[in-house]
Amino acid sequence: MSLNTKKIVIAVIGLFFLGALLIVGGIESNKRVLGKKAYIKVSATSEDCVSCHTFTSPSLIEQWRDSKHALKGVGCMECHATDPGDKDAWEHEGALVTVVVSPKDCSKCHANENDQFQASHHADAGKIIGSLDNVLAEVVEGNMGRLSLNGQSPAAISGCWQCHGSVVKIMADGRPDPATWPNTGIGRINPDGSKGSCSACHSRHRFSVVVSRQPDSCGKCHMGPDHPQKEIYEESKHGIAFKAFKQDMNLDAQPWRAGIEYSAAPTCATCHMSATEELPVTHDVGMRISWNLRPPVSEKIDAKAIKAGERVVSWEERRENMQAVCMKCHAENYVDGFYLQFDSAINLYDEKYGKPTTSIIKMMKAGKVLTATNFDEELEWTYFYLWHHEGRRARHGASMMAPDYTQWHGFFEVAERFYMHFVPQVRTACEDKIHRGGEVATAAKLVLAELDSILNREEHRWFLGKMPKDEKNRRKLAAEEFEKRYAQ
Amino acid sequence: MEEMKALTNEPVPNHLKHWWFALGGTPAILFFIQIVTGIFLLFHYVPTPEQAYGSVAKISDEVPFGWYVRSLHKWASELMIVTVMLHMSRVYFTGAYRKPRELNWMLGVIILFVTLGLGFTGYSLIYDQLSYWAAVVGTEIAESTPVVGPLAADFIRGGPEISGNTLTRLYVFHVVIFPALLAGLVALHILIVRLNGVTEFEFEGERRAKHRTFPLFPDHILTETILAILILYVLTMMTIIFPAGLGDRADPLMTPEHIKPEWYFFASFRWLKLTNVYLGVVGQIFFVGVIIAWPFIDKIFENKFPGVELSVWVGFFGFSFYLILTVWEALV
Repeated sequence: MSLNTKKIVIAVIGLFFLGALLIVGGIESNKRVLGKKAYIKVSATSEDCVSCHTFTSPSLIEQWRDSKHALKGVGCMECHATDPGDKDAWEHEGALVTVVVSPKDCSKCHANENDQFQASHHADAGKIIGSLDNVLAEVVEGNMGRLSLNGQSPAAISGCWQCHGSVVKIMADGRPDPATWPNTGIGRINPDGSKGSCSACHSRHRFSVVVSRQPDSCGKCHMGPDHPQKEIYEESKHGIAFKAFKQDMNLDAQPWRAGIEYSAAPTCATCHMSATEELPVTHDVGMRISWNLRPPVSEKIDAKAIKAGERVVSWEERRENMQAVCMKCHAENYVDGFYLQFDSAINLYDEKYGKPTTSIIKMMKAGKVLTATNFDEELEWTYFYLWHHEGRRARHGASMMAPDYTQWHGFFEVAERFYMHFVPQVRTACEDKIHRGGEVATAAKLVLAELDSILNREEHRWFLGKMPKDEKNRRKLAAEEFEKRYAQ
Repeated sequence: MEEMKALTNEPVPNHLKHWWFALGGTPAILFFIQIVTGIFLLFHYVPTPEQAYGSVAKISDEVPFGWYVRSLHKWASELMIVTVMLHMSRVYFTGAYRKPRELNWMLGVIILFVTLGLGFTGYSLIYDQLSYWAAVVGTEIAESTPVVGPLAADFIRGGPEISGNTLTRLYVFHVVIFPALLAGLVALHILIVRLNGVTEFEFEGERRAKHRTFPLFPDHILTETILAILILYVLTMMTIIFPAGLGDRADPLMTPEHIKPEWYFFASFRWLKLTNVYLGVVGQIFFVGVIIAWPFIDKIFENKFPGVELSVWVGFFGFSFYLILTVWEALV
């Protein structure tokens, strides 16, 4: 090859190389949008949103940039776009958008997750109108009149609804009513009619599974005096292990299966939702729960549906699901033993306190010994504390292995509430009505007779001084031993 | 000045005008590309089990042109191994390893294995499932080597099992020890070429040239420039069409269904599957020994059976055997 030919060859392949570099440049620029991070490609309309919101709400955009959505090209309009006919359609900078992204919107890509969620108790969390809690927030604690926001009680707006979900109302200008929005309550009722809010657990705009797998995510609502699941979890061996070995939890793994991707500890999501080698992941959080420990008297989770003539997955099957998760870490005997302990604690609460107090209150309401108005008498508050706070603490504590919540925050306080408050208050209320005479007096006498029969049961008779002699002696001896041991 | 000119502009023998005689310079060009792209990758790569995979993902996804540099590094490594093998084949089949060039042949074989070592360690650093498990299998094979195996495996792993130490060690091998070794070996290799002179060939049917040599500059340098641009062009097209991918994050608890090393170890992997581990490893050590000592073995054969081109047949069957095993492993 002559020198000149070589030079021509160099020029030709040099041009080819430059052409290839141009393609590389083209690929690179396609992978970038405005802002710091690269490799993000979104639609032109979404780019318009990003270019403006990068300055008006920079962290929101940065969070989105760190999301899987951004990497996969899911931009703003893929979720926020809406049709002209939609109730919540709002024209913003030339685009028709909605601020309320509902599970229906998410279901365009996450259909299975939405189907599971819609079948769950979570989806119905917004249907609290008519509950005692609702009366508290709207009437007892709050006000829907002169102290309201757009006719709604601030106690409900900032309290109950932020967990249970609001019914989002759209005003005439297409913007949501501030009494009902912002809201990420899990049972939110959306303008498009769908139930729920995915961002309740998958906090926007990063939508990271790491967040939703954190016990703290559930703890936003499942905590406090009436259902301290988060605190119970933290007290349990499960929570302790999680705190100690959080770095080994592989929280962003996909899939995320106990015993495979991680084995250090379970979180709420592990037991109630996440996949195992055999079980699929589920967004119906009730699929592994066998008891409903919410009401004054516990019931199996399928009881309501059976009463309504519906066919649902049986509590036995749900329990088997949960046990299959337990057995990723525990042996079968251990799991069976735990469930026997748990069931016996629930039975104790129901039989000793839940059923007796509920039957007494029902009798008193029916016989007008108590007024029809809720929470206007001390006994109603006492009863509410007993089942709604202390009774649940005892039951939830037993359900998730938290001894202190079961005992001191639970059964101890239930007992104190029952013997020191409930019983005397029932007696006082009945005696007062008997003193006044009339029809109510008859009802009050029946209530007292019922109370008497309850207190004469084997589990309560100690309170009447009727403990059997042999038991009394046995306890006396044990007490003397104890005193001797500790020189008290 | 004149001395300098004489030193840098040594006349190049005519046969180097044939393109297949440029195969020695090609890996050197690729090695240079590897050093440059490798340095860029070093800016972002984090050699810890927790962050290795994430940093590779970051290079591919976030760092500007990171995907391009990483893909160039990957494809240049593959091409480097191919061209080293082709260069060796050329040297072998033209008998250029014979006296007085035995030492340079042996150096060349070591260069091949250092290059393969760079490939193995580099692949392991990605820390996705396949790369992790390739490292596991690789170190287990090393462990089966008689006498020194367990010690060598422990040394590479930094302990009896794959751990954070292993990644650090593979990293040090990949970015310090092997490149330094390779640079030294290549320098020595070229120096010996200069001392021995390039083997001169004359081809049948070629008109006897007036001059037996041609100038290094500009003639041969232009040839190498053509090669360099061509390599960059081919590599860039490969990165565009097949950018370097990334599998699932390495999971020490889950062995993937199919563990595969990089293609250049396919033959070795297939051989191990065909034999037991001990024979597999000892067989390969024997094979390597024969390649290294081939100039001397060839001499013995030549003296015993003069006129028989035994080396051609041995080379043909040896190379075919390697290819068959490679293709076999690729197909299953």
